[in-house]
Amino acid sequence: MEPILKVEHVDKAFGGVIAAENVSFEILPGQIMGLIGPNGAGKTTTLNLISGIYSCDKGEIYINGKNVTKLPAHTRARMGLARTFQSPRFLQRSSIRENLMLGLDLADQIGYISSFFGKKRSDFDTELSELMGMAGFTVNWDADIQSLPYGQRKLLEIVRALLTHPKIMLVDEPAAGLNSKELMRVLEMLQFAAKKGVGIVVIEHQMDFVMGISDFVTVLNFGKLLSQGTPEQVSSDPAVIEAYLGRDIDAEN
Amino acid sequence: MKTKKITGGKITLFLACAAFAVGIPAICNPYQMTVVNSALIYFVAALGISIMLGMCGQMSFAAISFMGMGAYCATQLSKTLGMPTLMALVLSAVFTALMSLWIGALLFRLSGGYFTFATIGLVYICSSLFLNLKPLTGGANGIVGIPDLNLFGYNLDSLYKWFFFLFAVCILCGLFVERIRRTSLGRSMASVRDNELAAKSLGVNCYQVKIISFVIAGTLAGLAGGLIAFHNGTVSTALFSFQIATNFVIMVMLGGVNSTVGTFLGTFLVTLMPEVLSPLADYLRLIQGVLIILMMIFMPTGLAGIGQMLLSKAQKRLANKFSKKKTASQEVGQ
Ligand SMILES: Nc1ncnc2c1ncn2[C@@H]1O[C@H](COP(=O)(O)OP(=O)(O)OP(=O)(O)O)[C@@H](O)[C@H]1O
Ligand SMILES: [Mg+2]
Repeated sequence: MEPILKVEHVDKAFGGVIAAENVSFEILPGQIMGLIGPNGAGKTTTLNLISGIYSCDKGEIYINGKNVTKLPAHTRARMGLARTFQSPRFLQRSSIRENLMLGLDLADQIGYISSFFGKKRSDFDTELSELMGMAGFTVNWDADIQSLPYGQRKLLEIVRALLTHPKIMLVDEPAAGLNSKELMRVLEMLQFAAKKGVGIVVIEHQMDFVMGISDFVTVLNFGKLLSQGTPEQVSSDPAVIEAYLGRDIDAEN
Repeated sequence: MKTKKITGGKITLFLACAAFAVGIPAICNPYQMTVVNSALIYFVAALGISIMLGMCGQMSFAAISFMGMGAYCATQLSKTLGMPTLMALVLSAVFTALMSLWIGALLFRLSGGYFTFATIGLVYICSSLFLNLKPLTGGANGIVGIPDLNLFGYNLDSLYKWFFFLFAVCILCGLFVERIRRTSLGRSMASVRDNELAAKSLGVNCYQVKIISFVIAGTLAGLAGGLIAFHNGTVSTALFSFQIATNFVIMVMLGGVNSTVGTFLGTFLVTLMPEVLSPLADYLRLIQGVLIILMMIFMPTGLAGIGQMLLSKAQKRLANKFSKKKTASQEVGQ
């Protein structure tokens, strides 16, 4: 099988700070990769490089075999790359409905003009209710996004990403600030996506969660690849334990 | 998920429009009609600013330049080249659409405040060109004797006829803007305004969306320019100064930056204020300035925000009355 996402020898520096150095990995469709490392290790930067928010200083990124290193973020998104943010990003002044619909028409290649004349995605409602069933709560679609509790906003961001029918999903710390019930919901949704063939990168500090969900794990430290392998291999790797400074890595979250 | 509802707000709006269409010609003398008509024309251009600033979050002063281009273009096409006036009006809107596409593609290489300053530059360049390209614009003297607008054989030769035509144009433009708000383009614009990072990550081409909003605004301004040329029968550079450009922004800010009804109210407020306050003409700017500051402090959503507040209060009161009646009748039933 061809990898759906390939990151090859990617570098990124901010002034003197090296945020990513020679980072490489590949993900097959349906695979979940955990991306871990101490604070400031360059995990979010790596996601930003993949999604095109930052440009790489060096190295190449391939989506579905196509070199996207020079393509802008929105083009990569339309190629099937969806992401969530470390702290959820919504349009504060738009309703929940509008927030979820944003970008859907674009993901479906429905142009602005056909949308103006009333063209919509036909299965939006059924799909949304299926996803909301997994998310495990209901909302008033016309309410403000700010009226939702933090955990629900994080779940809703995953729903929004899934609605775009992604091929790759980049998920930045989905578990942070969630209760254990909501955590189960995240797990369920990511596994649902993986089963459908979505390749997933998930950054997470909560070790039980990330070790439980990942097919393999990549560890970054000071922007460099420290270790890569199955959850078992990685958590017994002395270099990884060293990087977490001998702390019980489960304790960090 | 979405059902078409006829809400109290919509009914109120419809009745208000009807009352406006019937009432204004009934109570206004010809001079007042001129003022009302120009307010309607300014509304078309102000809608463009409402799209740019309210929906897309981009502050632009360029409307006045495109209005000027539209006005001179319509004038030249009809008066000099003898083209049918309606065709000249449409072509001048097309011309400004192309100009705004070109200028927008250039200026949106800049971001945020730099873009805004660049549009101020554009206003200066254009007013200088309007003044100095005498063969096209008539220079400081302007051009007189522009023919009446003719709609398929129907001549708009009175202010009252103009009023109805302009009001219809305003309603169409307003509906157009409201439609945009509710479709994919409106959502993309809102995302550019509120969170470019989220927008990009969801596939929104922010640069393209900004240009689209600029072109829509430019086209509306160009249309307004053509309309004002035919309506007044004359054009001159005074109509397209930086002073008027700031007026547009004030109209939209006072009215409610992201509201079509608010923009309408703001346009009338700003256009009528000099007339109503003519005894205080020397202090007009002072009054406007204080009003803007007070509004931004106490009601940043503008007149539209006040209107919405009153409307929802009234609805609540009605609902309360209704439920009281219900409980009363239930008590009787017991
Ligand atoms: N836009 C930026 N400008 C300057 N420095 C940046 C920028 N983005 C990230 N950095 C720096 O790059 C390094 C890596 O940051 P990054 O956010 O990728 O870390 P992280 O692994 O996601 O950490 P955390 O677990 O705290 O989220 C940090 O030193 C950070 O300060
Ligand atoms: Mg991070």
